[in-house]
Amino acid sequence: MCAKYDTIIGLEVHAELSTKTKAFCTCDASFGGDPNTHICPVCTGQPGALPIINHEAVNYAIRAGLAFGCEINRYTRFDRKNYFYPDLPKAFQISQLDLPLCVNGKIELSTGTTVRIHQIHLEEDAGKMVHDDYHGQSWADYNRCSVPLIEIVSEPDITSAEEAAEFVSKIALYLKYLNVCDAKMQEGSIRADVNVSLKPAGSPVLGDRAEIKNLNSFRSIQRAIECEIERQTQILDEGGKVVQETRRFDDATGTTSSLRSKENANDYRYFPEPDIMAISFTDADIEKAKSEIPLLPHERANKYVNEYKLTDEDARVLTLEKYISDFYDETVAIYPEYKSVANMFLTEVMRRVKETDTEEIPVTAADFAKVCEMADKNTVNRNDAKTIIRFMFEEGGDPMEIAKANNFIVEEDLGAINDFIDNLFAERQDLVDDYKNGKTSVFGFFMGQANRGLQGKATPKSIKECLEAKLKNL
Amino acid sequence: MTNLTELRKKLDNKEISSVELTKEYLKKISENEALGAFNTVCEDEALKMAELADKTIAEGNSAPLTGIPMAIKDNICTKDIKTTCSSKMLAEYAPPYNATVMEKLNAQGIVTLGKTSMDEFAMGGSSQTSALAKPKNPFDTNCVPGGSSGGSAVAVAAGLCAAALGSDTGGSVRQPASFCGITGMKPTYGTVSRYGLVAFGSSLDQIGPMANSAQDCGIILNAIAGQDIHDGTSRRHNIDFNALLGQDIKGLKIGIPKEFYGDGIDGEVKNAVIKVADFYKSLGAELVEVSMPTLKYAISAYYLLACAEASTNLSRYDGVKYGYRTESPESYDELIKKSRAEGFGAEVKRRILLGTYALSSGYYDAYYKKALAVRQQFRLEHDQIFEKCDVMLTPSAPTVAYGIDSNINDPVKMYLADVCTVTANIAGIPAISVPCGVNSANMPIGFSLSAKRFDDARIIQFADVYEKSFAHPTANI
Repeated sequence: MCAKYDTIIGLEVHAELSTKTKAFCTCDASFGGDPNTHICPVCTGQPGALPIINHEAVNYAIRAGLAFGCEINRYTRFDRKNYFYPDLPKAFQISQLDLPLCVNGKIELSTGTTVRIHQIHLEEDAGKMVHDDYHGQSWADYNRCSVPLIEIVSEPDITSAEEAAEFVSKIALYLKYLNVCDAKMQEGSIRADVNVSLKPAGSPVLGDRAEIKNLNSFRSIQRAIECEIERQTQILDEGGKVVQETRRFDDATGTTSSLRSKENANDYRYFPEPDIMAISFTDADIEKAKSEIPLLPHERANKYVNEYKLTDEDARVLTLEKYISDFYDETVAIYPEYKSVANMFLTEVMRRVKETDTEEIPVTAADFAKVCEMADKNTVNRNDAKTIIRFMFEEGGDPMEIAKANNFIVEEDLGAINDFIDNLFAERQDLVDDYKNGKTSVFGFFMGQANRGLQGKATPKSIKECLEAKLKNL
Repeated sequence: MTNLTELRKKLDNKEISSVELTKEYLKKISENEALGAFNTVCEDEALKMAELADKTIAEGNSAPLTGIPMAIKDNICTKDIKTTCSSKMLAEYAPPYNATVMEKLNAQGIVTLGKTSMDEFAMGGSSQTSALAKPKNPFDTNCVPGGSSGGSAVAVAAGLCAAALGSDTGGSVRQPASFCGITGMKPTYGTVSRYGLVAFGSSLDQIGPMANSAQDCGIILNAIAGQDIHDGTSRRHNIDFNALLGQDIKGLKIGIPKEFYGDGIDGEVKNAVIKVADFYKSLGAELVEVSMPTLKYAISAYYLLACAEASTNLSRYDGVKYGYRTESPESYDELIKKSRAEGFGAEVKRRILLGTYALSSGYYDAYYKKALAVRQQFRLEHDQIFEKCDVMLTPSAPTVAYGIDSNINDPVKMYLADVCTVTANIAGIPAISVPCGVNSANMPIGFSLSAKRFDDARIIQFADVYEKSFAHPTANI
């Protein structure tokens, strides 16, 4: 970062909501599908068709607003944003201008910066154009048309490219925890526009800003900002003036280029959408929405530390991704040995899921719980348990079957257990005497010794039974 | 003219079948093609629907409109039947879905005879902005039938259908009803679903019946009204539109807004409407003078609101998805510019430009926002008026039907002629136009009754009382 200038960054983050149906009709809102199969008269803008508000989308947007500390406007309205583009069948987007659902929130970054949220509003996505350059033809796919989006508009509180990337990834993580967005950047479910301007260090006067549109990965957000800062620094260093304009980022070359100047900016002719009635919320509505907010990442981490007695670091790592945390929660719901599951998970599963890009764990929580339990009870020894997990990841299969097929099941020899205990008693006659005299707490010592000495040869359960029988018959 | 109640009896008593009735109307339609009432006549579909209706009637399951042949304004979507809005833009467009009103009428088993001509995209008061059929007034074919629902008015007045649907954004049902000597009603905004009505001014548009009597209008409204999950602006209500039929009007109050009886209203029209007031008075109704000071802003506010909404409602006609597309455009920009330049007529372009201007950055506050304020004032004023009276009585139009082409080149004069009707749309209240005789040139005159929102049954009651004493004028065709 060049110390000569302060960098001022504001973001508009668009996140597609994962509602079942679209924002203003009842078409399937899921990603993909053959072109123009998730469409109807409403989302293709047929003459006479009218939008109907999807209240699930409204609730999702409110949930996001509440999680980011926003106030919910008790009276909210939709507006039409007018522009012509072939992927926008009505030639206007239903959005919100001056009475958005949520206002005045904030997000804290690890750098200590607080980024204020100006507003969060609900709007509809556009379709997708497919260009066939070879034949010089363009095709419109309206499947994505009218899928609900929230646009999270920040104040210009961000001071670096790293902070911008953290801001967006934090939004993505929260939206996932809120179950309102799957935040798959490769499917375009989160996109960002960034506004970048520089001013002389310490100056109160803001510089002219450039907006870079439609960035769809954390990496491209960071790179686009970095190279825009560099470009503007160079202009200012040479005594030039930054032009207020919209720019596009080319991922391949890592440069931004002008898309349109301020003079050519669209006049969107916003006006209140006459087909959708304004919505009013009561305090009870807001309270209900609050009660529906699931645990957020830091809240889950607190639970792991306070209730499950995990270390801060383990709790932090387990909550970095929602699907990881969900898997852990699911496992301990079946087998509530919190620490041992966490240890096995962090050493054996984490490493493997990190190697893949997908958010899928190819093992069920039930099977994973089973392996943890098998290791804890010494049905198999711990190293073999790890091998079982490897097999489950690589080839799949039931853990017990894998254990049997590979001769991992610990064969129990009661004779050997009894011999071991006899030897132990002989060595520590003093403690045996203590036991006879009523000091039963030495049981733990014998148990520990036997477990260690017989690891891989006997289950704790059998050892305990033999030990109890012997002590009873002293 | 046979009214719907009589037709129902004849059909149910098997004096005539729906197929016979449909054939009669189809024959009349073809004999009177020169009237230009229809853009599309759907003979085959109509006969099929009639056969089905006859079956339903034979089974004793008839609903009030089963087997009744109706004409539908060409801006109401009919699945797989062309819905052109009388525009080159949609000349070949057959919707993939039915408007909610069509679903409801079809559920009762009506027969759709065809789609009636209109002003292009319902923009006009003469039906002469149509790019397809241009309807003529059956009382004098040199005169306009009014508009924009001119084709529907002509079809009813000339006996080409039993009843029709129109749509009313600023008087488009009531003014042509008045020009053609029939009854037409715009119900309270939100009582009838707009889903499938090709939008013009969304906050003003309402589908309404055009028929031979107020009672017929009530029968049709009872069939098509109701809250609709496809229209977020439709309201939950339980109106029986004919609930007050036959009830005495004695002691009820009729508001006479003085602004509607001043300059600019034709003398013969004024006198005819005053006679209507005297008639009601003779039955024991009380006449009270009321005032609508905001009326002078009505036309400006109406055209700003309607055109602003229209400018964005009509943006979807870009040549991409359906409708008219220019030949071999060089680029997307050219595709859209040329398609719209070639596909829309002059009046539609004029209103899109007006509306676009009114919504443009820097002008929004001066125009659109002020129009919204006027609308608010209008609503308050109407609330106050209807504290003083049950219904309001006005002329339906400042004049009778005028000669074709006489007004068409003077848009401002055309717009000003809407002054008697736009108030009901701005205020969202119900209003009905009823014929009250003819002028010296034998052209029909109409009066209008309006009431507070959701008091639709009240104006039907008053209109029915008048019609019980005075027959509609008949056209010699």
